[in-house]
Amino acid sequence: MPERRLDAADRSLGLLSIGILLAVVGLALTAEPVLSQGYAAREYGDFPVIGSRAAIWIAAQLHLFFAAFVLGVPMFAVVAEAIGIYGGEERYDKLAKEFTRLLLVSYSATAIWGAILVFGLITLYPRVWGYLAEVFEVSMWAYVGLFFFESFTLYLYYYGWDRWKKGRAKRVHLGLGILLNLWGTAVMFIANSWLTYMMSPPADVTPDTAPAMVQFWSAFANATWMPINIHRLIANVVFGGAIVGAYAAYRFLSSETDEERAHYDWMGYVGNVIAISALIVLPFAGYWLGREIYEFNQQMGTTMMGGFMSWLWVVQAVLIGVLFLTGNYYLWVGMGRIPGAERFKPYTKWMLVVLVLGVIVWATPRNMIANRDEITAMGGQFHPFLGVLGVMSAKNTAVNLMILTTFLSFLLYRRANKRPVVAWARRGTTIQGALFVISATVVLFYGVYGYFVPAIVRIGFSVYQVIAVLTTIVGVVAIDIAMMRGAESRGAIRWGQMPERSQYALFILGVTFTWLMGLMGFARSGLRQHWHVFEVMRDTSVDAATPALGYASTIISVCVLIFLGLVAFIFWVGTLAEEPVIRKKVAG
Amino acid sequence: MTNLKVLAVVLATLGVYTWVANSIPQIESAVPVEVSFSADVTEEELVTAGEQLYYGGAGCVTCHGLEDRAPNLLADYAGEGPIGLRCATRVEGQDCKTYLYESLVDPSAYVVGGGTFDPMVFAAILYSPAQLWALVAYLEAQGGNVTVTAEDVVLAEETATTTGAAGPVTASTDPVEIMRNTLCFGCHQLGDEGVEVGPPFEGMGSRLDSDYIRRSILDPNREAAEGYEHLLGSMPPNLADMLTARQLEILVEFLSGQE
Repeated sequence: MPERRLDAADRSLGLLSIGILLAVVGLALTAEPVLSQGYAAREYGDFPVIGSRAAIWIAAQLHLFFAAFVLGVPMFAVVAEAIGIYGGEERYDKLAKEFTRLLLVSYSATAIWGAILVFGLITLYPRVWGYLAEVFEVSMWAYVGLFFFESFTLYLYYYGWDRWKKGRAKRVHLGLGILLNLWGTAVMFIANSWLTYMMSPPADVTPDTAPAMVQFWSAFANATWMPINIHRLIANVVFGGAIVGAYAAYRFLSSETDEERAHYDWMGYVGNVIAISALIVLPFAGYWLGREIYEFNQQMGTTMMGGFMSWLWVVQAVLIGVLFLTGNYYLWVGMGRIPGAERFKPYTKWMLVVLVLGVIVWATPRNMIANRDEITAMGGQFHPFLGVLGVMSAKNTAVNLMILTTFLSFLLYRRANKRPVVAWARRGTTIQGALFVISATVVLFYGVYGYFVPAIVRIGFSVYQVIAVLTTIVGVVAIDIAMMRGAESRGAIRWGQMPERSQYALFILGVTFTWLMGLMGFARSGLRQHWHVFEVMRDTSVDAATPALGYASTIISVCVLIFLGLVAFIFWVGTLAEEPVIRKKVAG
Repeated sequence: MTNLKVLAVVLATLGVYTWVANSIPQIESAVPVEVSFSADVTEEELVTAGEQLYYGGAGCVTCHGLEDRAPNLLADYAGEGPIGLRCATRVEGQDCKTYLYESLVDPSAYVVGGGTFDPMVFAAILYSPAQLWALVAYLEAQGGNVTVTAEDVVLAEETATTTGAAGPVTASTDPVEIMRNTLCFGCHQLGDEGVEVGPPFEGMGSRLDSDYIRRSILDPNREAAEGYEHLLGSMPPNLADMLTARQLEILVEFLSGQE
């Protein structure tokens, strides 16, 4: 009964979300031509107390948080289901269903915040909205259509779970999951075209170009569109994994039975693995995006990495340092519940040393405003030692070594309770070790060599470092999969036997990922500075200046707090239906 | 209890990040302003424009915002009050606005602090008379009375038009002399001359090729050298207008040879 009650509520909320979206887009697209008839429309509206910019900022950020969650979670839900089908482990299937159940209510929240954002744009920034609606009218309708398909595919996917659970029907069900991801990805790609157009409009679009004269496809597939698509695709997986990890941590902490605790311990681990694995790839996508931004407009690129945003990267380094340290800490603590992991324990302190040094180097600024005495004491504008650590050569080296170290943590965790039985196990392990040593040497070599060549040559070195690390990751994983086929077990993992502090680490990861997403959103959007559409439509509102990081951080924290509060409510609603079942189990 | 602990962890994490972001230098990306005044410009308009320049394009706060690199103009300095109060007493027989205007046009004329501070790095040639007077008006408003009038602005603009303010600042063909006159040493160092704020001229030839150096002079704010990104926008945008073609090539050749 409780499950049925929840299903009905979910269905209503889902239909509500589609209704909201259709109404909003319909209204938004029909409102624009009316505005252009007869009278001069106002350019900006006012929002009480916090102002228009903060209001739109919060609405957009919360919409994005939920959207990232509902796009990221289906990706690994479908992978978990596939593992369940083809790997024969039913627990993965249950996990996939539990992931998907979290999606239903989150979908409604995404649509509600999307509606708030669109209404906000129409009322507070009518000129900008009118312009974008005229350029992207076709894709806005396509967006609504795809959202419609996406929503109904989700209903089929979730509500058909128990009906289509065997044989061919199950594979069709998996196909629905894949279709759900395709719709979701298409929806995101369309929305990305709008925001990337604001950032990097085609070169032939000038302030005098009428929106109707802007060629649709060149506006749609603009310079930063695909890099943002890929970056967001990966980031959504990271984010979804982190939020699922935090959810599992909460359920672990409030579990009443060992069975429940074991399940949520395992779920938290899976969420963390997904988040950290995708995080490892994310910097490469970020590098591509950064490169495209530079290619589009070097001034914009320099504003991003230097200029008024230079300190943002120091804050980002602090956050990524927290992610690496906390993610690894969770794994190391988790090894305590794996028989055989003791043999790897001596290595953890060295990995910690590499990570801490990496964070320190990454967070070291190249230079900063110094007074006369400080400059004299340093012997120049740059600190004789720290100034050397602040350049990209040192930072690229640090981050690549941190990625390698984190990957090593995963590898040790994965192998902790396994004993390979293949004849070439020793040789395989030696090759894996050699790959680590070679890639670390390549990273260090180019890191040091970078100090002796001109900047233009040095920039190219980061590509060699990235290739070395990626090759090692792919090579080592391939060897490991082959080597561990049919491996003997040193003992089963004691799921549920995790200290509570490990679960708080999952919370820190979830909060940090969310905050980092907000920070990077500010960086991307702030790059336009006083332009709604870069060098095409100028921001003439009272909020045209891009705020400093302190103000931005306050807004981001408020957004994260609202998001987590709403997510907690959504998850709590989810548990309402389960409680009687659990009580029954406990009583039984 | 679990709920409270989770809440505490979330709030503490958010608090730390917000604190870190608020602890670093707070730099806002201001909207560039184009200043142009009519003959009936008001005191308020001048002060507002001056304030925007002070915090924006003129880059005053880079040094005057710090206590140690240059005197604070907006607060008390050496017990004499803010700049609007102390400007009239700096040079005997010179009123406040004349002192401030001359300080802007010829930054090395009056160096405050008895050797504590370096001469001001400010290229007045980059700004219109209207902008300079707006800055003066804003500085006067800091504790004093604004005496800048529309007549000052109009007169200065007429003088600039008849004397032709634009063009090469020196006829010299000596690269070091050219660099002195275009205020390069205000931020760059060569041997004992200059200040190391931007990249030093020494070794420039081994780091950059001649095409890059020429491009950097012609379009100085398009990109910044690695490690100096925070200074992007500090180079005079009309540097090329201050040089003849011959002087430009002399500079390029000279800097390319600095290995």
